[in-house]
Amino acid sequence: MASDLLPLFSGAAVGNICDISSLLSRESIALAYPAISVSVWVIALVFAMLAGGIMGLVASYPALRVKEEWFLSMILLVGGETFRIVVTNTPEIGCGFNGLAGITTPFYWLSNYLPSGPLQAEVPTGLYAAVIVLLAIGCFVFAQKICNSPYGRLLKSVRDDKVAAESLGKDVSRVRKQIMVLGSIMAGLAGALYVYYIGVATPEDYIPALTFGIWVMMILGGYANNRGLLLGAFVITMLDRGSLVTGIALQSYLPTLNSNLIVYGRYMVEAVILLLLLVFRRKGLLPETRVKTKAYTLFDFGKKKAQASSPPAEAPRAGGEATS
Amino acid sequence: MTDESILRVEGISKSFGGVKAVEGVSLSVKKGSITGLIGPNGSGKSTLFNLISGAEKKNPGGSIEFDGKQIDALPPHKRSELGMGRTFQTPRLFPGMTVLENTMVAPRGQKGERPFVSPLRRRWEGQEIELAKKAKAQMTRLEIDKLYGKLTSEISGGQMKLAQLSNALMEDPKMLLLDEPTAGVAPRLAQDIFQSITNERQERGTTFFIIEHRLEVLFKHVDTDFVMHQGKIIMEDKPEAIVKDKRLAEAYLGI
Repeated sequence: MASDLLPLFSGAAVGNICDISSLLSRESIALAYPAISVSVWVIALVFAMLAGGIMGLVASYPALRVKEEWFLSMILLVGGETFRIVVTNTPEIGCGFNGLAGITTPFYWLSNYLPSGPLQAEVPTGLYAAVIVLLAIGCFVFAQKICNSPYGRLLKSVRDDKVAAESLGKDVSRVRKQIMVLGSIMAGLAGALYVYYIGVATPEDYIPALTFGIWVMMILGGYANNRGLLLGAFVITMLDRGSLVTGIALQSYLPTLNSNLIVYGRYMVEAVILLLLLVFRRKGLLPETRVKTKAYTLFDFGKKKAQASSPPAEAPRAGGEATS
Repeated sequence: MTDESILRVEGISKSFGGVKAVEGVSLSVKKGSITGLIGPNGSGKSTLFNLISGAEKKNPGGSIEFDGKQIDALPPHKRSELGMGRTFQTPRLFPGMTVLENTMVAPRGQKGERPFVSPLRRRWEGQEIELAKKAKAQMTRLEIDKLYGKLTSEISGGQMKLAQLSNALMEDPKMLLLDEPTAGVAPRLAQDIFQSITNERQERGTTFFIIEHRLEVLFKHVDTDFVMHQGKIIMEDKPEAIVKDKRLAEAYLGI
């Protein structure tokens, strides 16, 4: 039992982590040792977040030196693409073009305890999907808490007017740096979770289309609205996965159909969504939200009471402070 | 009011291309005073404010001293940390935020402004409520409390001026640079704004340095006044003396 682990710990007999035999041994270890499986996963998540944070910090240096957000997005896009090409052509990093395969979900070992059949594959994956959803909820709650706090206000002020924020004593560069790091930590977490889900870490998954997909999610849901982002992510992910499943399913009924039309059709649909949004709803489906803190209770209290008790009698007072 | 000066500017200049907007200006503002700065359009008043607050870099040479410290090399937010607040001629507010949020964002060093403290509501909520009370009092005094839930991109120009003043006062600055605080504001409210300024000075000893075109209001409240013309300070005197001086009319009428 320990015989296949010992060489790993000694570090001597690891060999090439990219070849097929190490792929198989990764899978057999994941199957045999639940504790190792889960703890490696946790460690991987932590490292991914750390790596993400460091990359965010590095990326924040150009971010502080550009005057317009447009230049920043260009720099980041080009930087990301450069990084991807370097990884693709460097076998020493993550096995280069082929990517690192044989990454099983942390619950792969559960299949030992299940009757043979489709459930063996589906229960671990389903459970892992549930864990991803839980972590996503955690991230959402975290983001909501940050946004509905003085820090949320600070972020908006830096976004709206750098000069005015500075005149109020806000260290704009520091805030930008912080939020780049924070965002990249979350992206690192998402990336690690994704890799464990699809079972392979390959640079070809992170082509610019992915960036634009995420961008469409953002524009669709609405700027500065976490619920909107959730909506956008849901719609675009459903489109993405849905087109894949539909394409494959249709192929089995109509063998003459080219399923690529449907699978890749999603890019066209995304583009149409983007264009429609830019023409008709530039601010997305959901409007930007207020920074909800207790500060509003000092102002909103009287109004709410007035609306609740007797609207006609209180109408003149409430009318004066209409906020719709 | 003491004779000690809070702001001391020595021979600073600023040129944009070939235009000398500010040319060798030296002045000092007394601690706890209300000091005016007047002059025709384009005489360099706002540029001078930008140089003092750090929104623009001055030409090499000269010095700016605030509250006993050399501040020429400091970025704007550091100058603000030392207690220098300002408003802008064209109001600079945060258009995506409500009037209340604009006022609430102003105070420096809020506990909840640190990213990893912000999710812990209990750590900052007490301070938040205190600040909100202060904001409410401030906004009520400036008659913008009814607008609390409106985005600042939706309110009128005069209301923007008031919201901006409210932001600047929230920080409890030692000195406030006000760039035309009453332009676009109703005349009655203009009186009130200057009354609030006078009260603020009496209660907290705040120094005010004010650019203003409404001389009839300004001169009722200022202790001393500078006149700027073509990038230079041409006069410094009490308002009574300045209105009598021929040079004022010459500067404004271009005679």
